[in-house]
Parts: sequence; C-alpha cells; structure tokens
Amino acid sequence: MVNDSGQLYTMEGIAAGLVMLLTAYLILSTTSIYTPGDTHIPDMQLEQLGSDVLAMMDTPDREGEESQLVGFVKNGTGTCGGDELRDEFLDNCKMRSDDPDENLRAQVYLSYRRSDGSVNTTPLSSVDPEFTGRENAVRVTHWVHLPPGSHSIPNIDTSRPHAVLVEVLLWRV
Amino acid sequence: MVALIAVASMVPGLLAGLQSSGIDYDAVAYRTGVILTEDPGWPGWPVYPPWEMKDQYHKDEIERMGLAVSNETPNILLSTKIEKFFNDTFFTTDDYRSKAIFGEIPYSYNITLRSLDGRYNHKVGQETPEGYGYIRRVVKIKEPSVAVIDGSLKERYTISPGDNSTTRTFTVRLDFSRLLNASIDPAYRIDPLTEPVNITITNFSEYLNKTDETVKNATLKSVTFRRGSSSIRFPFPYDTENPDLYTLSLDGNPYDLKPEAPVESNISLVLKPPATSLFPLDQNSILDIRFTFENDPPHTNITGIHYYDYNPKNVTRPALKPAVLEVAIW
Repeated sequence: MVNDSGQLYTMEGIAAGLVMLLTAYLILSTTSIYTPGDTHIPDMQLEQLGSDVLAMMDTPDREGEESQLVGFVKNGTGTCGGDELRDEFLDNCKMRSDDPDENLRAQVYLSYRRSDGSVNTTPLSSVDPEFTGRENAVRVTHWVHLPPGSHSIPNIDTSRPHAVLVEVLLWRV
Repeated sequence: MVALIAVASMVPGLLAGLQSSGIDYDAVAYRTGVILTEDPGWPGWPVYPPWEMKDQYHKDEIERMGLAVSNETPNILLSTKIEKFFNDTFFTTDDYRSKAIFGEIPYSYNITLRSLDGRYNHKVGQETPEGYGYIRRVVKIKEPSVAVIDGSLKERYTISPGDNSTTRTFTVRLDFSRLLNASIDPAYRIDPLTEPVNITITNFSEYLNKTDETVKNATLKSVTFRRGSSSIRFPFPYDTENPDLYTLSLDGNPYDLKPEAPVESNISLVLKPPATSLFPLDQNSILDIRFTFENDPPHTNITGIHYYDYNPKNVTRPALKPAVLEVAIW
C-alpha cells in the first residue's frame, strides 16, 4: 500500500505552490513604479533661476551701457567685486512676490586665460564659512565679454578683450 | 499557466497611469513660464497687429499670449503686453487656460509678476493651496519712452523775432525710418506701433510771451496729425475723449483733441498703439503731431520741430526694470 504512485501528486502540488508564489511575487514587484526624475525637479527650478539671474545681470539697463556683471568681474578679487557679485546674485534669486526666499547661498568662481596662455579658475567671492563642500548645489555658468582695459584680475592680458566664464554654485540650506 | 502569469504581471501596468500625473504640475508651470518670458506671443512680429492690441471682438484671434519683447530678447518683457495679460476683466479663466497654460486638463493657476521697486504688482488666478507645481523666472521690464520738453529747450523752440503770425504751432515728429532701425536691439528700440508715444511739455510758462505782464497762459486750440506734408484725419471724432486711444491733459485736467482751453504749466499727450495703428503708416512714414496755440495777440512764442528719436536729449528711454514672474499650477 505504501508505494510511489503519490509522488507525482506531491510534485504537482509543490510545483503549483511555487507557481502561485512566483505569480504573487511578480504582481507585487511590478506595482511600485520608480520615477528617478522626481528628485531633480527642485534642482531644475534652482538652475533655471540662477541661469536667469546671470543672464539678467549681464543685460545692460540702457543701450550702450556696461552690464552689471561686467562691472563686478572687472573689480575681481581685488576690490571685493566678487562678494558684491555674490550678494547681488543672491538678492536677485531671493526676490519673490511675497517675502524673500532666504534659504539660498552661493559661491562664485571665475575662469579665464592668463597672459601666459594657461587657464586659471579662481574663487571670486570670499569663502562662505558655512560651505562644507557637500551641499546639494546646482552649477550655473555664463560667458562674459570683458573689454580690454585694466581689471583687478591677476595675470590677465589687459590689451585685448576676453571671454571669461563666471561659474556660480547655488544651494539651498 | 505561463500565459496566465504573464497576463497577471501586466495588470499593475493598468494602474500605473493614475500615479504619474502628480509630477506633471511642475512641467506645466515650467512650460507656461517659458511661454510668458521667452515668447512674444502669436500673433506677434512680423504679423501686425500683435496679440496685445486685439479688442474684445477679435479676442479669438489670439493664439498664444507671451510677454517677451521679441523672440530675440528672452526674459525682457514689454510693459504693454504685461498690462494686457494681467487684465482679468478682459480675459476669462478659459482664456488663460487655452492661450497661456494649454493642456487638456483644466489646471488651476496663479501667475504673479512683481518688480523690484514695487511699481508692477500683478496677480491673476486663484489662491494657491498647500502643494503645487511652481517655477520662478527673473526678468526685466521694458517701459515706453518719453519726450520731455522743458524750459531748458526754450532757446531751440522760440520764434525768431519779427515773426508776426498769430498762430503758433509746435510739432513733434516721428520718423519711422529712423525709429524702426533694425540695428537697434529690440530691448532698447522705440516702436510707436506697439508702445505708447508720450510727449510731455513742462515749465510751459517759460514759453509764454513775457513782454506782456498780464499773460499767464496760452490757449491750446487743437492737436492735429500730419503724415509727410499732408494732413491726415484722426480716424475718430476729435471731440470725444477716448482713453483707449489717447490721453491729453493740460495742467492735470483731461481734454479731447480740440481743447481750446488755456494751459499754464504743462501739457501731456499719450498716444496709444491702437490709435497709431489706425493711421495709414508704413516703415518709411513720417508722422507729425502738431500742437496749435491761438491767441490774438499770441500768448506764447513756441515753435519748431522736436524729433522723437534715439537722441537722449530728445527722448528719455527708461532703464529696464528688474522683476520676478512666478507661475503656480495645480
């Protein structure tokens, strides 16, 4: 009476059970839809804001005038032009229809070609004491046309116009 | 069995569509932000008249409302377009949805524009809830130019001695071939066809005939228009005040174009684009605006032609104003 004819039923039962478990697993695993783009939307909004502010700072308010950004870059690291640039940049970013958006910080860098031909990247604004280097920051850049003439930028050839790159790191605290 | 498993695993895909609409609001807000700040709208240049000049009967011809001066000047907004866009007695909620926000879902919206100096503080739409899609754009606003003729220009605009006529005419000339100069950046261009023409004569007492002590004012008989050398009729009755077409004020009081009233210290005429568009003008026309003073004997010695052009001594072009535009969609 104890023979192996029931083995097939047992195996069928186990196989059916496994198939049901597999089906249940497949159904449950496909319901969570990950949208990795979600975390980048606040970054995009901040980047668009920073990019707009740099473009507007480089637009002269009257025809033929020098833009505000060129004025700040010309003052360079020497006479705190970079700090003024950073403060003006942040003021424009914080502007809102109700109270200003206070939780924004920025750091400015300038890249230019030295008179010996090499490219130098220098921090233009003084270091923010709260800056840890691990902030979730966005980077906005703007090419600035610098006319010939004297600037407070070290080692730059002042006899010709330059295209310099202003880079701003913008983050929320 | 395998087919059953495959079908069962596709069932959650049917439910996926309901979950993803939550993130679209930021995208719609961003798109509306781009349309408002980087697009001049349609109809826009080169089609004339542009969308901001359409009246109630032609509102359906507006396809898209954008505030930029032109498509070459993103983030520079034109004040006439701003005034028209934020006029929510002219546009309905459906108009904003179909001409600025787009999309099949009727989104709720809140669009605000505020300038740094507070002069522009516009809002349109509903009150924002707790969560919404959002974008903020920083812009600059281009405002119309003004020709200010004050006492300092007295030497230029006084009659030569020996002139015995009794009428005095002072002309402001708009030479379109000089104004619509393509080499001037659209952000700084004077365009009388799309922006108001503003003429202000102040310190008018400097232009009065000082030889007679009793003369305290002069009578402005009329303001007429000429194209080239021929006089053209203003296509609306002279004796009806129409603030949509023009405003004329003498010493602060409004008048129509045939005031025949005395003026003591200042005259201000604002000719709006809907009026300028009614004249038969093209890019080479010359439009003269004539102020005619009549007194017997004459009370004023004003004469001459003032050119409304790019010379900063003739016309003041205001600086671009920084502002912030915010769009909220939910």
